Amino acid sequence: MPQSCLHRVTENRALGGGSFVLRVAGPFEGVRAGQFCMLQSAELWLFLLPRPFSWFDVFEPGDTALRSDEATGAATFLGKVVGPGTARLAALEVGDELHVTGPLGRAWPSVEEGGPEPICIAGGVGLAPFLLWAKEGRAARKPVSLLYGGASAQALPAAGDFAATGADFHYATLDGSRGHRGSVLDLYRDLVGRGLLDGAAPVYCCGPDPMMEAVAAECRERGLRCVVSLETYMACGYGVCNGCTVEVRSAGRFAGRRYVKSCIEGPVFDSEELLWHASTAHG
Amino acid sequence: MTRKALVVRLPFGLVLDTPVLSASGCYGAGLEGAAFGDLAALGALVTKTVTPRPRAGNPPPRIYETPCGMLNSIGLENPGVEAFLANDLQRALQQSRPLILNVGGESLEEYEAIVERVQGCGAVALEINLSCPNVQGGALPFSTDPAACELVVRRCRERSTLPFFVKLSPNVSTSLLLEVAAAAEAAGADGLTLINTLLGRAIDWRRRKPRLALGSGGLSGPAIKPVAIHCIASVRAKTRLPILGVGGAASAEDICEFLAAGADAVQVGTAQFRDPLAAVRLVQEVEDLLVGAETSASELTASTRAR
Repeated sequence: MPQSCLHRVTENRALGGGSFVLRVAGPFEGVRAGQFCMLQSAELWLFLLPRPFSWFDVFEPGDTALRSDEATGAATFLGKVVGPGTARLAALEVGDELHVTGPLGRAWPSVEEGGPEPICIAGGVGLAPFLLWAKEGRAARKPVSLLYGGASAQALPAAGDFAATGADFHYATLDGSRGHRGSVLDLYRDLVGRGLLDGAAPVYCCGPDPMMEAVAAECRERGLRCVVSLETYMACGYGVCNGCTVEVRSAGRFAGRRYVKSCIEGPVFDSEELLWHASTAHG
Repeated sequence: MTRKALVVRLPFGLVLDTPVLSASGCYGAGLEGAAFGDLAALGALVTKTVTPRPRAGNPPPRIYETPCGMLNSIGLENPGVEAFLANDLQRALQQSRPLILNVGGESLEEYEAIVERVQGCGAVALEINLSCPNVQGGALPFSTDPAACELVVRRCRERSTLPFFVKLSPNVSTSLLLEVAAAAEAAGADGLTLINTLLGRAIDWRRRKPRLALGSGGLSGPAIKPVAIHCIASVRAKTRLPILGVGGAASAEDICEFLAAGADAVQVGTAQFRDPLAAVRLVQEVEDLLVGAETSASELTASTRAR
């Protein structure tokens, strides 16, 4: 059963460039890689709606990574300050309370039986939904390949949190301050061209809309499946506000209608399902 | 167990265990919220508006947060009455909470059709939405013109053995609101719901574009609570009809304030977006407040009638 209740902040780690990792005490149950939750600081709720965040990491009770004040488990959330709501979350202190509603939405699809492992492509804080995926990969399969891009090294936060997952990281920055100089899509083409990545593998992608759209276009040309995790404005996250609608190609919920709720049918979509310009006009 | 401080007895025979209800458009038919916990404490569930035909709703972006509130331009997205009755309604009724079915339309004929269609559906009452600002370009033809309001309410009355509330718009002067409310009462409404959202707009000035795809939308949340309290108190001074108050109620203090303005019960709307159990949690808090103040919900409401 998803939950909606207060949790105690056990750490709030600033990563530079406005990014942060918020950590709260559990329990959290039934979270799958790619799902999200709604976060809200406890005392300002009259002023601000909750904000959707991917689950970054989840620790079950007994996990050796837990601290003494996290006997019931813990979870982390990777975010970036973009307005007053996220600024408030970034300013939370240890001992403050955070309202968490979730887990919500659909997870990354599981790997096809016998099929190639997906290549993960992330931009900025779009890295968030891939940590649990990488943990699952370490547990069940070979380590995941993760292409991680941003404007500069400072825009690539939190890769260190993947240390224990064995994920195979490849970096790209527009200014060349870390890894490949150029876009993460350039990096993908380069690695596939040199035979260092499986050019037949599906792609899972999360990042800014223009990046996801470009990756989706590349996959379409190559005949590859591309799965994206969208970020849309949401008021509720659990299916009642009807505010996070995206436009899809197939019939959708009602006969002849093409809108679906990103919080219920997403946030993970097959990119070919999406009508990109209609769905990503959020700026 | 009936809690004395909370029970609300409405004149047409409906008894609510508590004055705390969910507001239309903010909680579906309760099915999504029920995934998070037991909704049994709620006084009633008020469904999202159901229309005669399916509606896809307005293009995105549909919502935008504003200080102490939010703008929405959903456009009455719903599966249409046939799909609703076949799928959602039965599951909603199984939650064993009184269901108030909110219905809407764009024309006199649509209101007649939907009210006829839902007779005997299992709802304890209807709420007729005459005031959605996100259809017909915000024209609000039935809640800004007393004659149009009287006509549509009369036609609904002729077709309904179910009691019904008429949900009115705050996007009028106080004197016009009183005229529209009087017209609804004269035409046979069993009660009024006050208020729907306020028309509003936000602009991204750098891009010279409105934040919502269709330009304007409806403002909800704590920002509009004083407007709701004003409208309820103004109408209460002129009528003995039951009033369902709605508009920014988010705390037990707010609920009691609505009651003291003359509302018989109070719907929790935008606050449910923050927490699927917001209204459920308020039931106990309201009881504690009322008992602590040695009063009751009905006594608070009645105090305004005595004036």
